[in-house]
Amino acid sequence: MTAATESSDRETQAYLPDFCTAATLFVVVLIAELVAIVLALAAFETIDGFLIDLSKSSFFILWLALLSTALLCRLRGWLESTGKTRAFVLSFLLLLLMCLVVAELAWQLDRIFGRSLIIDDTHAGFIARTFAIAAIVIALTMRYLYVSSEWRRSIVLEAQSRISALQALIRPHFLFNSMNTIASLTRTDPRQAEEAVEDLSDLLRVTLRSSKDRTTLKEEFETTAIYQRIEKLRLGDRLKIRWDVSDLPMRASIPSLTIQPLIENAIYHGIELLPDGGEVLVTGQRNGDDLVISVSNPVAADARRKNDGNKMAMTNIQQRFELAYGSRASVDVEESADTYSVTLRFPMGETAQ
Amino acid sequence: MKVLIVDDEQPARERLRQLLDDMPGYDVAGDAGNGREAVDLAARLQPDIVLLDIRMPGMDGIEAAQHMNALDAPPAIVFTTAYDEYAIDAFEVRAIGYVLKPVRRSRLEGALEQAARLAASTLAEVAAESGIESRRQHICAKVQDELLLVPIADISYFQADQKYVCVHHDNGEHLIDDSLKSLEKEFGDSFVRIHRGALVAVNRIDRLDRTGDGKTRIVLRDGSHDDAKQLIISRRHVAEVKKRLRAS
Repeated sequence: MTAATESSDRETQAYLPDFCTAATLFVVVLIAELVAIVLALAAFETIDGFLIDLSKSSFFILWLALLSTALLCRLRGWLESTGKTRAFVLSFLLLLLMCLVVAELAWQLDRIFGRSLIIDDTHAGFIARTFAIAAIVIALTMRYLYVSSEWRRSIVLEAQSRISALQALIRPHFLFNSMNTIASLTRTDPRQAEEAVEDLSDLLRVTLRSSKDRTTLKEEFETTAIYQRIEKLRLGDRLKIRWDVSDLPMRASIPSLTIQPLIENAIYHGIELLPDGGEVLVTGQRNGDDLVISVSNPVAADARRKNDGNKMAMTNIQQRFELAYGSRASVDVEESADTYSVTLRFPMGETAQ
Repeated sequence: MKVLIVDDEQPARERLRQLLDDMPGYDVAGDAGNGREAVDLAARLQPDIVLLDIRMPGMDGIEAAQHMNALDAPPAIVFTTAYDEYAIDAFEVRAIGYVLKPVRRSRLEGALEQAARLAASTLAEVAAESGIESRRQHICAKVQDELLLVPIADISYFQADQKYVCVHHDNGEHLIDDSLKSLEKEFGDSFVRIHRGALVAVNRIDRLDRTGDGKTRIVLRDGSHDDAKQLIISRRHVAEVKKRLRAS
């Protein structure tokens, strides 16, 4: 399970395709051959001349392509570690440099063995042409790889966030405890049991919507209020939530189910483990074009439970924020001996409705 | 059969009460909302069976069960939980009784019939496997028929006295059943051994000083050292004690 998550994490973080696989090699050879055909077609005069041109340029370009693939196969790990933009810029420069070296070698070999039979151009002319063509083709290929890796990345991210959104909200602990509360209420207070079933259904309905959906702050707070009602039945006076969010524009949009899981975490890891309960504080401000929402809760000093579930919910929110806002949003956690707080910062966008 | 219900959530306690009321042969002797209260009530009411929630604030169910074992007639334990995959795996392996919430009547009947006393070692294993620190938060001392729970933070030192170990804490001294060796294993992080027969809380040590006959003794934060005989550091342990003091 952990290994699988890690490897899928690595796949989402990789920008360069894996050049060591046969599939990538095939694509590279295909592109190289297409470039050779284009070059030969551009110089078309007679069919014989065309075939000779094609085989000459194929021979040279395939060498370049195969060596490039080998180089990237070896250096991928290092390139990836330098960061996204740098990885692409460095690959571009490396490949270009390699092309120039190979061109120079080809020229020299041609001098020694072929006596300029194959390359009929001046030294400088040949190198300059190789440089220009290689730069254009490599740049286009890089761009193609970049776009397709971004596309793959967003698909994986979205799939992951959908799954983890479900896992995050329907935390089994919450679901079964709520069911137990309802079972108890059916005898003592059927009316309240009825309400609890309705609330729970509404909550589950929200989770079954696509996690990509944005919602308004107003709706997100309503969902959270429903959740709060259910938890209140179970925890009674131990649970208090103070909302200080009147500064926020209620029509602003937010990825759905981002505030509710934070409250759930605050209850599960904080309030539930305090004998006298405590108060979850939700605050919200407008900061220029950004909205800042933070949720904080007291924690028990002697909590014996290791916090493994918490990480999952936080990862989930981080992923969904990244998917929705890229680098324009942030999720920060602050921990002290007796408080835990999470701050969401994201650009304000109003929904059309 | 007298049953004690322990759960921090009122509706959950109510639910168990409803189910037990319908079952002949079982009487609800009382209910408790947390581990501490549960241990006190167990000592007072002497139930045959305790229905014990695992996740509770303050003292969780597994620690409460560990303390109940110190009673003269320890009750049989049935754990209740909404969802706790690791604990459940541990229960399954050791055939420890448990019921899942929402509690089903037939399942509760089955668990009550098979409820058994649990050995302390079994509980420690369960705690370790369920991702709960197996370190207790309290030490349990028996005072006449009552169980006294001494928070670890209140303890100055443990001292072995022939057969028993005596715990010296903010509110007095009491004899306990734990052995010094097992205490050292469990609380070695915060206690240090100063001689064959004593473990001292590192954060309670003020300084070390010399007695008239050249021995090293411990002065506690509260200034006490008059029972100096007990708090003399044996030569073999001086280096270790100094190291721990520097590290703290």
